[in-house]
Amino acid sequence: MGLMLSGYLPIDRPAVSRFLRSVSDRTGNILSRFSTEGRIGLCGIALILMVALFAPVLSAYPPDQISGNSLEPPGQGHLLGTDELGMDIWSQICYGARMSLVIGLSVALIAGIGGGILGILAGYLGGNADQLLMRTVDILMALPSFPLLIVISAFMGPSIVNVILVLVLFSWAKPARIARSQTLAIKRNTYIIAAKNFGGTPYYILSRHILPEVLPILFVLILGITSYAIIAETGLAFLGLGDPTSKSWGMMLYYATSFKSIYFTPFWQWWLIPPLVALVTLVISLAFISRDLEQVLDPRLRRGGGL
Amino acid sequence: MNKNTRNTLIFRFVITLLVILSINFFLPRMMPGDPFSTTSSDVQGEDIVTMTEEQHQYFISYYGMDLPLHEQFIRYLANMAKGDFGQSIYYKIPVTSVILIHLPWTILIVFCATALSTVAGILIGTISARNRKKISDRFMMTGLIAFSEIPSFLLGIILLLIFCVWLRIFPLAGAVTPFAHYNSVLDEAGDIAHHAFLPVLTLSLAQLTGVYLLTRNTLITVSSKDYIRTAYAKGLGEKIVWTRHALRNALLPVVTRTGFMIGLMMGGAVLVETVFSYPGIGLTLRSAVVNRDYALIQGILLIIAVSILLCNLIVDQVYQRLDPRVAD
Repeated sequence: MGLMLSGYLPIDRPAVSRFLRSVSDRTGNILSRFSTEGRIGLCGIALILMVALFAPVLSAYPPDQISGNSLEPPGQGHLLGTDELGMDIWSQICYGARMSLVIGLSVALIAGIGGGILGILAGYLGGNADQLLMRTVDILMALPSFPLLIVISAFMGPSIVNVILVLVLFSWAKPARIARSQTLAIKRNTYIIAAKNFGGTPYYILSRHILPEVLPILFVLILGITSYAIIAETGLAFLGLGDPTSKSWGMMLYYATSFKSIYFTPFWQWWLIPPLVALVTLVISLAFISRDLEQVLDPRLRRGGGL
Repeated sequence: MNKNTRNTLIFRFVITLLVILSINFFLPRMMPGDPFSTTSSDVQGEDIVTMTEEQHQYFISYYGMDLPLHEQFIRYLANMAKGDFGQSIYYKIPVTSVILIHLPWTILIVFCATALSTVAGILIGTISARNRKKISDRFMMTGLIAFSEIPSFLLGIILLLIFCVWLRIFPLAGAVTPFAHYNSVLDEAGDIAHHAFLPVLTLSLAQLTGVYLLTRNTLITVSSKDYIRTAYAKGLGEKIVWTRHALRNALLPVVTRTGFMIGLMMGGAVLVETVFSYPGIGLTLRSAVVNRDYALIQGILLIIAVSILLCNLIVDQVYQRLDPRVAD
């Protein structure tokens, strides 16, 4: 994100500016290939990132302390009002952004990178390791993930680490499978065979030739998993299986909807709608970006032009 | 499909089923707490009525929980094979009856939603493919894609707020009006449809875009095929070429997608049913988890898992019938 914005900074020192120009040429290039939706997505994510980063500055009250009367409507003092315990809703939104992003990104990074490495190794080594991995992936992908997610997180107890672990368990299969098939395809190229004949070690070939080819695709997948993890965490939290000590947006939804007869009171207007809007913005932004990145990074999709 | 692939398919089906059965069996047993700590206290967790040690032991042996794990597992597999899912500890009736009470509601909404999203998706997909490269297609695509990214239960809350809270057109909860007396079957069906409408709409909206994109993209791919050109060259009209030649071939992947979708919806239904307090199997699963009702959790998971696996198996068979190219 920082790199992408740096293209607009005026820099005068020659070396730095030359470097930055090359970077900004590249990022600018990618940015110019983004569609309108993609740019909207980038703005949305930037906004949420800002809110998450500057949560302590943006919110006047701590999110987990009683700072007003119960169920105050939005107004002076409390920007978005308070919940039933008198906690400020705007602060909960700010800190909840951190929660959702941390969960989403850590699941995506662990599952994406871990699954990617497993897939590349399996594809490169072949043989029994490959067979074992692929059978595991097959079974994992055939399992009904959400019902199992519910049961597993119920049994592991509600904590962020557990939620992350369970989500990783169900999301590493796809990157592994795709990294493997990519590696298999690349492995057959003559330049890899040539590199091997010249005495290239497996480490050299993997890091120099295979990884750079697989990485862009993994990156797109990681974005997708981020979105999946955020949604899944929200879903679990909404069912009451989230971490009660840390308020994510899903937990806010859960508390609001389990408040008795909330739909017969005006409370939903400031209690239920803010987390709803925040989540929808986040999820749609991620989707727009990953769609565009898919097309920018994957030349086959671009050439096909069907989509 | 030759014999070999079919064997692989069935082999995979059996393995997956076994994995689910074992997860199903071991997981709930590893959960903290035991079912009797919930039955012995009231809902709020206050005023705990403690059981004596004797009563506790009685219950444990009554439900066969004092046996070694592997014996329990074998007993469990044998019972599963007989279709006996055990007793629900919370409802105190057989799990099979609890499931039978709630499953029809889930099946109702899942099947209606599948039908609705498939038909609507094919329709919009065709329109979109025919108007490709026009501005209307672009808008339609962006709109639907943005829409599809909203997870079904968030969509459900939005619809609930609009139609039940704000406009007050649809009921907030339940599958039928409580204590209602119907003058005719038609009345009753109307009431059920009235309650099921929003859950069905939510589930199908969430799946619509998948069908739409698939139809649109395969139609576009198919439309550049030689046999389409031949059809035009024969002098067939636009309509016939699109419906008979293009759409028929483009629908093949949609069939696969439909089976796959039923599985996805069974999972999504858990959340959507919670949003609308719709008394299906999803809402029951949630309450079973809350009440640590092992047997019920196992039963529901098994039903959901088996129906998903079966759908995939059936789709493979149907696909084979529809597309002779896959046959060998």
